[in-house]
Amino acid sequence: MDLDAIPSAIGAPGGWEKRPDAWWLEAPRADPPALARVLLEAGARLVTMTASAGPDGEFRVIYHWDGEGRLLNVAVTTRGAALPSVAAVTPAADWIEREIHDYFAVRFAGRDLPPLFLAPGDAPGALGRDLRPDVAAEGKDGKVEG
Amino acid sequence: MSYTVPLGPYHPALEEPCRIDLDCEGETVRGAEIRLKFNFRGVEWLAERKNFIQAVALIERVCGICSNVHAMTFCRALETLAGVDVPERARHIRLVVAELERVTSHLLWTGLAAEIMGFQTLFMACFALRERAMDVLEGLSGNRVNYGMNRVGGVTRDIADPGAIRSEVLRLREETLKKIAPVFLDDRTVRARCAGIGVLSGDLARAWGAVGPTARASGVPQDIRKAAPYEAYGRLDFHVPLETAGDVNARVVVRLLELIETYGLLEQALGTMPGGPLAGPEFVEIPAGEATARSEAPRGECFYYVAAGGAEAPLRVKIRTPSFVNMPLVAAMVRGANLADVPLINASIDPCYSCTCR
Repeated sequence: MDLDAIPSAIGAPGGWEKRPDAWWLEAPRADPPALARVLLEAGARLVTMTASAGPDGEFRVIYHWDGEGRLLNVAVTTRGAALPSVAAVTPAADWIEREIHDYFAVRFAGRDLPPLFLAPGDAPGALGRDLRPDVAAEGKDGKVEG
Repeated sequence: MSYTVPLGPYHPALEEPCRIDLDCEGETVRGAEIRLKFNFRGVEWLAERKNFIQAVALIERVCGICSNVHAMTFCRALETLAGVDVPERARHIRLVVAELERVTSHLLWTGLAAEIMGFQTLFMACFALRERAMDVLEGLSGNRVNYGMNRVGGVTRDIADPGAIRSEVLRLREETLKKIAPVFLDDRTVRARCAGIGVLSGDLARAWGAVGPTARASGVPQDIRKAAPYEAYGRLDFHVPLETAGDVNARVVVRLLELIETYGLLEQALGTMPGGPLAGPEFVEIPAGEATARSEAPRGECFYYVAAGGAEAPLRVKIRTPSFVNMPLVAAMVRGANLADVPLINASIDPCYSCTCR
């Protein structure tokens, strides 16, 4: 797998950073389906995606891929709390995107997002509402509740 | 005429917090939808409100079967963040506990599979052997489920007499080879019940990112212990069993052969246990940053992401369990199956609802 070709192919401003745990790439404006196609073509497997609340109501979504045993972590930023879905490119994303929608109400455009873990009556975002700085002003500050 | 059969959560064939809606025509399943919204526990949310030491104990409760692998993988992510080296003896002890956990998990699964097949004698033989494996873990840790063996930077307890544990592992291996393996691998009734049902092609397994024995039974040679060795796995000799049929029988065979390999790993690790400390400093400061870690749980790849802000609690904890990946594939496996085969097909991925609804 030619890792060096990937940043330019997905429009990442910089290159890979090799850390002790994985290869990391910051690609805030990347198009996730294009990223998925490039990595799938190189034989990679989608491990999972991690969403975290960021500033201005946006979210940082890390796409974790396995490429020949190497963990490749590519961080993308949402646009209007939304990203294009990659489920049509790799079905492995199906439940992952649904779970992130349950947690943070991040929308993945181009697909339906039926609730995975939400109870009847819960709105999308209910599971992770306290993780959103705009909802929990006093929110998490690293202090422990008990 | 088509109709829908709900399987679970209150059903003799699925006593778990899950419902599978099966669209049937006669006795043939045409489609399935899996519903999970019964027992979501919010462990990630809780972990972000505990300090790092409390979070290790909490995360060990993600699963009641592979509890150790969760605590170990979480600790490994924190060790990466903190730049902490784990002593060699602790790496060996972690491997021993992880592989003993694989023994209890696979024996639990073989027992449950036997029970679903209606093979009660085999079920009793598997569970009797599993009890002995759990006795070993109890002897090591004082606990039969949540062992509490991991801490950031090492382990909490030593293995004082590796030779005694090794002797018991050899006895477990002998019993498995004598009483369990021949039935699952050679018995015509078991084969007739399992062969040709719940087929998952290699292409589908790859497309959906299947992991663990489920992937390996479909010819996908994926095992984190080999692909990205951690702890002491890189220094030990073991083989990753692979089958290509992709049916329930292939998943049975992979787990049985894997069980034999696990005994071999335990024998090696216990026979080459290095000396030295069990852990580094008692309190480890976790600096700001983010890290990931992966381990091979009994059901497949277990993934953790941890972000820290330099405070006493994590900023973000993400847990991806192997069952979360494999469970959607059941819908594909049961398509075209006979309704009566669905409980066994579902069980063949060794689904863990506790992990999935963490």
